[in-house]
Amino acid sequence: MSMADNTITYEDFLKFREFFYRKTGIHFEDSKRYFVDKRLVERIEATGSGNFRSYFTMLRFQTSGEELQTLINSMTVNETYFFREEHQFKCLVNSLLPQITKTKKPGSPIRIWSIPSSSGEEPYSIAIYLTEFWTGIAIWDVEIMASDIDTNILKKARAGKYSPRSVQHLPERLLSRHFKRLPDGDYQISDDFRQAVEFTRVNLLDPDDTRPYRGFDVIFCRNLLIYFDDLSRRRAADVFFDALNPGGFICLGHSESMSRISSVFKVCKFPEAIVYQKPEGR
Amino acid sequence: MAIVKRKDTRIVDRDQRSRNRDFNGLVAQLSDSNPVARRWAARDLATYPEAVAVLTERLEKESDGTVREAILTSLILIGTPAAVEGLVRCLRSEDAALRNDAIEAMKSMPDEVTPVMTALLHDSDSDVRIFAVNILESLRHPDVEKWLIEVICEDAHVNVCATAVDILSEVGTEAAAGALEALKARFPGEPYIAFSVDLALKRIRAE
Repeated sequence: MSMADNTITYEDFLKFREFFYRKTGIHFEDSKRYFVDKRLVERIEATGSGNFRSYFTMLRFQTSGEELQTLINSMTVNETYFFREEHQFKCLVNSLLPQITKTKKPGSPIRIWSIPSSSGEEPYSIAIYLTEFWTGIAIWDVEIMASDIDTNILKKARAGKYSPRSVQHLPERLLSRHFKRLPDGDYQISDDFRQAVEFTRVNLLDPDDTRPYRGFDVIFCRNLLIYFDDLSRRRAADVFFDALNPGGFICLGHSESMSRISSVFKVCKFPEAIVYQKPEGR
Repeated sequence: MAIVKRKDTRIVDRDQRSRNRDFNGLVAQLSDSNPVARRWAARDLATYPEAVAVLTERLEKESDGTVREAILTSLILIGTPAAVEGLVRCLRSEDAALRNDAIEAMKSMPDEVTPVMTALLHDSDSDVRIFAVNILESLRHPDVEKWLIEVICEDAHVNVCATAVDILSEVGTEAAAGALEALKARFPGEPYIAFSVDLALKRIRAE
């Protein structure tokens, strides 16, 4: 009886890294080798592939792409929390909104779409950030629309209750100002924010769901497209393009790139982040 | 001013349409002078398989990149042999951007592209054969290595073979080794072939 050989050589790692980067835009440094090898070995065992070579062949050529999806899930940390990737909120306040308000008609609200909203950490973070760090909030109304495909998670988002772990990156003064401590140790965001953010169920790939979503100035869609296949990414990019106002911006996760999906957005390099813009006049 | 909630959760005040969202209305809209209208028509026509002819006809003359992108997405979604045929026609275009768009689109249609792959790899135009090999680079299909081996065994054009070797260096197995060695003998005066074959063999045999 032969033993399965689960060893991942450095050549295997390089081959896999190149492939995974092309598929997802996620690049693993050499320092991440232990992390990557561990997950690859887990998937080789789970699929009964026996060794890296068989597994990699299956990964590349499986028509359904199911195993690639499973591997992507295991290679990504699917966790969200308040002020995650805060540099993008800084970018919103310091770079995007000043540009948007330059051409925005006075009196019309600035419109922001957060999708997927998950349990609400991202849209509420945007609301807190604008309230605390954007002086323009004294002049402009802002509408925050938050959408997700999962109705259970939307219920959770509307309830606005979070574990201490979820709020751990919030400065203490913001935590005490905008949350109340519950008897079970969790935190609940203030009613003002819960009432201000609109949560809706949307399947990004259903045209009937997305057709009405238009006229946004900024879209946050972070760490979702890495879970999509090529066609779904194309379709999502189409939805975002048509949902944005001309000159509007879309913020993706740090490992995601619109340039690999669609050529119709303009790449904008701001001091805080790279953001994609729907060209003016479109 | 403040964070405010829109009272009406629907996002658009009204759908400003000048034509019906039915097949004939959308086909007419696809020739609208406004690219925004053309783009929406292209997106909505994705649910009409019979729209392939008008979509590909529009694709070949469409100058607006945003409309072109929507047409390509719709052709992928329709995914019929006629849609693939329309994309194949784009591979022969003089417009490099259109050719690249068509290659990218075809990469995401393995089941639909497979029936035409052999014909593409034997096309009389070596550029089309190179584009076909480019499609194989990301095509999820179990025959990719077999096709690439056939290319390096049979194709007379050095650039087509070189493109196939580059891809074999990543996807190839020991099954390709003999054909790779033989390719060096077929093109003895081409140092790039020798270099890329050696690199491919090194990668394939690396343990």
